[in-house]
Amino acid sequence: MAIAEFSWNLARNRFAFPRAGVKGSKLSDEVLIGNARWFIIFRWVVIAILLVFQIFAVIASDALTEIGITHQQGWPLAITMVLCISNIFYIYALDFRPQTEFNSPSINIWTQIIVDLLCLSVVVHYIGSIGTPAPFFYVLHIALSCIFFSTMESLVVAGLVCVMYGIVLLIENPLLFLAPQSVLIDSDSGAPMATHLKINILLWMLTLDVLFMVVWYVVSRLAIVVRTHERQLVDAYEHISRAQVEKDRYAVLMTHQLKAPLDAIRSKIGLIKGDYCGETSPEIKEVLEKIDNRASGMAGLILDVLKLERLKAAARDPNNLERVNIDAVIRKCIDKLKPIAHSRQITINGSAEHFAVAGIPYQLEILFENIISNAIIYSYDGASVEIASAIDWQDSSAVVSIADHGIGISDKDLPHIFDEYFYAPRAALHNRKSSGIGLSIVKTVAENNKLHIKVDSEPNRGTTFHIIFSGLTSEPNSGKSYDRPERRVIQRDGACEPT
Amino acid sequence: MQMTMQDQQSNQQTARPQSSTRASQNGSSRIAHVDDDPDIRDTVKRILTANGYVVDSYQTMSDFLASLWENATPPDLAILDVMVETMDAGLDAYVEIRKRFPHLHMVFMTSLGEEIRPYFTNLSDEWILIIEKPVNPESFLSIVHSRLERPESS
Repeated sequence: MAIAEFSWNLARNRFAFPRAGVKGSKLSDEVLIGNARWFIIFRWVVIAILLVFQIFAVIASDALTEIGITHQQGWPLAITMVLCISNIFYIYALDFRPQTEFNSPSINIWTQIIVDLLCLSVVVHYIGSIGTPAPFFYVLHIALSCIFFSTMESLVVAGLVCVMYGIVLLIENPLLFLAPQSVLIDSDSGAPMATHLKINILLWMLTLDVLFMVVWYVVSRLAIVVRTHERQLVDAYEHISRAQVEKDRYAVLMTHQLKAPLDAIRSKIGLIKGDYCGETSPEIKEVLEKIDNRASGMAGLILDVLKLERLKAAARDPNNLERVNIDAVIRKCIDKLKPIAHSRQITINGSAEHFAVAGIPYQLEILFENIISNAIIYSYDGASVEIASAIDWQDSSAVVSIADHGIGISDKDLPHIFDEYFYAPRAALHNRKSSGIGLSIVKTVAENNKLHIKVDSEPNRGTTFHIIFSGLTSEPNSGKSYDRPERRVIQRDGACEPT
Repeated sequence: MQMTMQDQQSNQQTARPQSSTRASQNGSSRIAHVDDDPDIRDTVKRILTANGYVVDSYQTMSDFLASLWENATPPDLAILDVMVETMDAGLDAYVEIRKRFPHLHMVFMTSLGEEIRPYFTNLSDEWILIIEKPVNPESFLSIVHSRLERPESS
């Protein structure tokens, strides 16, 4: 006996943003490498500033002495050298050594921060640990560590900064913590002055330590908020991508289920029309032809809906642009549509000049196929369809015009021709197979490929579609590089202007 | 029915019903056809047998695979539906068969025509022929002829 169990408890699978674990989360190696590089570049800038300062000090030492800046004992040069050598070392470790347990981006940044803090401590010592702005530069490293590392690691950095600043103060004033005793023993010599100085130093240490901790707290909180939102965005994007794939599968399934019965019917019609079921009278064949035509229109509509949905979804992907040879695309479409044109004694004249644009190749094929096939469909039997192009190399733009001498579009209908499922009654009478979304597909392709379309039409005289391309990618007669795909990303700002 | 392939011009020859064309030249070519729609199976069988081919029809891909693994000689051509049983059954079977019989001619026949192409991405480097339903006897036969005339699958 077979037993199957079914459960539709959707709550379990419901999408939720993961909030847990964000506090302690680290950045990925990729992001850390990016940060490490940025940190290295930032250090080069600091090194450059230090060098400029030293060159200036050598050239204009007298002027500096006059304004009260005394000659330094060579520590700025030493610090510059240390920063420079360590920066080269970081680059070497990051780019020229394989990543190992002991050479990770995280360790690289840790080393950078510790070396920087040591250098900064030397600077603070020489410039002045109290009463100067030098110790405030420690804040920079605390803020950076909050961005680069987890909250706990950045707390370690903040603690390290406090300790280093404390050590600097202690080195400068070795008897700092013995001060109260000296005050008790010797109360009337230079002690009040010394006490005042020591209180001042302790006040500086305390104030700055509090500042360091406050900065750590504020920046690490901000970093947590930013990371949470970043995570939410990544999750939401993944969710949208998954939903898009699911949507496409669903659309494909529905298209198949709707079209398959029609195909079975039309296959059977094909059998009868091909005399596989015995001889059939011409009257029956004529009726079958009409049934087949209507079924073909419906099948076309079903496929067009899927096509349109896919074109709309494709707008999301900005990396699918290639260099497309427009005259080749038009030639291909003409070859494809010639049999239909010939069946109604319609001739297709002219072709486009040689030029290429950045676009999505299969979509541009769809665009031209739709417009040229419309020109054929809405022409009168025996008429002609004219295709022409004009290129303005100075403006790097081109216009391809497709003109028919058919039923035309009335002024009232013209503004709506790109609306989805729009039927102009005259057009519907002329072509019963129309799906009503052919020009919606054209509009979507134009949007995706940043094209402009201009339409002029006169009822019973014909319609002309002008497809306007901007940003041509090849010079005249530049030759053979046309069909080579070249990935280019351009801003999407498509517009269709039925006028 | 639309044929979607680069060498359409080679398929202009037409075949009339009841006239044995290829079969009369080379003996009967065996063609396997997999489709879950009985009407399509019936149509394909009628058209091909009327033109002298031997047709083995299968309702499911697993039936076809089972017979393929059992028989020592594979058919000359396999016409596979893409969405039979499940959405990807045809594609999975294609990959499986390609491993065991790299030279077996295979074409896909689906209602979706070229719109199924995105599902073929990364499946195979070779160009896969996709025939869009419905089955139009004339163009269907010309595709079958051209496929069988190729020395190796390509």
